[in-house]
Amino acid sequence: MVAVGTRILAVEDDERIRIAVKMALEDEGWTVEEAATGEAALDSFGRHPADVVLIDIMLPGIDGFEVCRSLRRVSDVPIVVVTARADTHDVVAGLEAGADDYLTKPFAPKELSARIRALLRRARAPDPATPQLNFGDLEIIPEAGVVRLDGSEVHLTKTEFRLLCELASSAGRVFSREVLLERVWGYGYFGDGRLVDVHIRRLRTKIETDPANPRHVVTVRGLGYKLQG
Amino acid sequence: MLLSALLALATFASTRSSLLQQRESAALTQVFSNARIVRDRLPSETDPIKLLQSLQTPSSSHPIALDDRGRWHAPDPLFGQNALPEALRDAVSNDTPSRMRYALRGEPYLAVGVPLPNEGAAYFEVLELDELEDTLRQLSLSLTGAAMLTTMAGAGLGWWASRRALRPLADVGQAAEAIAGGRLDTRLAAGNDADLSVLVTSFNGMAQALQDRIERDARFASDVSHELRSPLMTLSAATELLETRRDELPQRAQAALDLLSAEVARFQQLVEDLLEISRFDAGAVRLELDDVRLAEFVLQAVAASSAPGVPVEVDAELAGVVVRADKRRLGRVIANLLDNAGRYGGGATRVALRRVDDGGVLIAVEDAGPGVPVSDRHYIFERFARGGVSGRRGAGEGVGLGLALVAEHVRLHGGRVWVENRAEGDGARFLVELPVAVS
Repeated sequence: MVAVGTRILAVEDDERIRIAVKMALEDEGWTVEEAATGEAALDSFGRHPADVVLIDIMLPGIDGFEVCRSLRRVSDVPIVVVTARADTHDVVAGLEAGADDYLTKPFAPKELSARIRALLRRARAPDPATPQLNFGDLEIIPEAGVVRLDGSEVHLTKTEFRLLCELASSAGRVFSREVLLERVWGYGYFGDGRLVDVHIRRLRTKIETDPANPRHVVTVRGLGYKLQG
Repeated sequence: MLLSALLALATFASTRSSLLQQRESAALTQVFSNARIVRDRLPSETDPIKLLQSLQTPSSSHPIALDDRGRWHAPDPLFGQNALPEALRDAVSNDTPSRMRYALRGEPYLAVGVPLPNEGAAYFEVLELDELEDTLRQLSLSLTGAAMLTTMAGAGLGWWASRRALRPLADVGQAAEAIAGGRLDTRLAAGNDADLSVLVTSFNGMAQALQDRIERDARFASDVSHELRSPLMTLSAATELLETRRDELPQRAQAALDLLSAEVARFQQLVEDLLEISRFDAGAVRLELDDVRLAEFVLQAVAASSAPGVPVEVDAELAGVVVRADKRRLGRVIANLLDNAGRYGGGATRVALRRVDDGGVLIAVEDAGPGVPVSDRHYIFERFARGGVSGRRGAGEGVGLGLALVAEHVRLHGGRVWVENRAEGDGARFLVELPVAVS
């Protein structure tokens, strides 16, 4: 179960949605900090970092993407972006800006709680019994949550790390998008494949010497992705 | 055309008759004056032929005389008494001056006979009408020619003028059709003709106004739905909170909460459906294609639906097949068909996935309900069409957009959807045919 005292930062300019979100999340026992603008959000986070950040893409002033990128520069905190369903480009843009997951408006507060729970689970350290894994110049230490490329540590978000660990769990095995969605995000068959695609891209930019020609995280056409040494 | 033909005909006819009459009267005058000369000189004439030859006759006219002793005199043997029509000779022998048009040796002639009763003689002249006929023939030819030319020129001019006049109308017609077909941004080109520029301007103005209006309407449905989402979210959050404390509520309040939750959920579904349909209306829809393992997809879709226990049958040949399809939309198609079967068909009994002979696949959703009467089979796919069975306005009622959305999603894939009654017993079978390339 989730630790009491978990702080969620909700960045949302629509007051009605803020109220709905606060009501639902506080009902889960979490503390909710509200921010109506990007600037206020960054300010709040700077003073007292939250455990999960919820950002609406459409904000007055600096937009949600910018808030996301700014947060990513200083933290690996789990981020959920909220998009309006109409524009699907927002989803990919939000993920590329560093979000771990997304929700489209309107969302059932239940759904939001479920996503946040999943994120918090990922944030916890994985099973310490998992041994260290090596793939050429890539070192993965699951129990410490650390990844090294050529000896130097790479900063991955919790989701990116979890994804890498999944791929590493059966090196050389091809994982389909659906399986990864299930294992990493907890989605069933109808999850959004773009979550996997964008995270793979992000992973490559961090652990591949040449992201355009990946040696470790390889695409297998029509089947999925695999990790190789 | 007709006019010029009639005109030519009339001209010809009147010219012909007046020419002929003129000719005749001129001829007659000449004949009578010749007759007088013959009357005066024939009795004492020793050489009647010479006398006849001395008469004033144009070359086309041949004099013939009959003296008191019944002897015929003709300078030209070809034009003697036998050249005269018998009827004329008879008339003249009865002392009746006559004239007659007739044909001699295939040519037209005018014969005039003047009896000279005091002398017991008669004078005849045979006049060739050839020349006149020639002239007339030439005239008629030229008139005909002229008539034909003017007709053709008139027709040509008319055709060209009407084409010129009609072409812009044809353009307008085509543009109107294009707009009616949905291409709202169709406009007419300006062109060079000043007269037509008025037409072009007003047409384009009308098309623009129409486009604005339609887009505004499409946006309205979309805007309204958007606006409804926020308050609905708040409602939904509040009811959810109450739901988690349901046990703390007295029984009547629990019933009220159940009603509230159900209606809020229904309302949210309606708003989402409306938004989705307004997107189709605005033309703002795109297929997002993915590689889909069809058999697995159908199984998963059923499992995630309101009727997860429904048996699914898949054609053996489709077992590992991958197709290009929009997962979200197809998912909604199966979900909506299952919802529909649940609401009106007593629950789906089977979902089948079959391969179609000419490529493509068929998805069937069957139920064991009352089936759909033939007269309703198109109607049910229309918006806001609800089960016509009376009394079906209960709490579990849909809003009538489920099947309409199915139709739109399927149409976007290039497929079609329809309903049949099951042959083996009661119930409906909804069929979706998708022309997906089966790889």
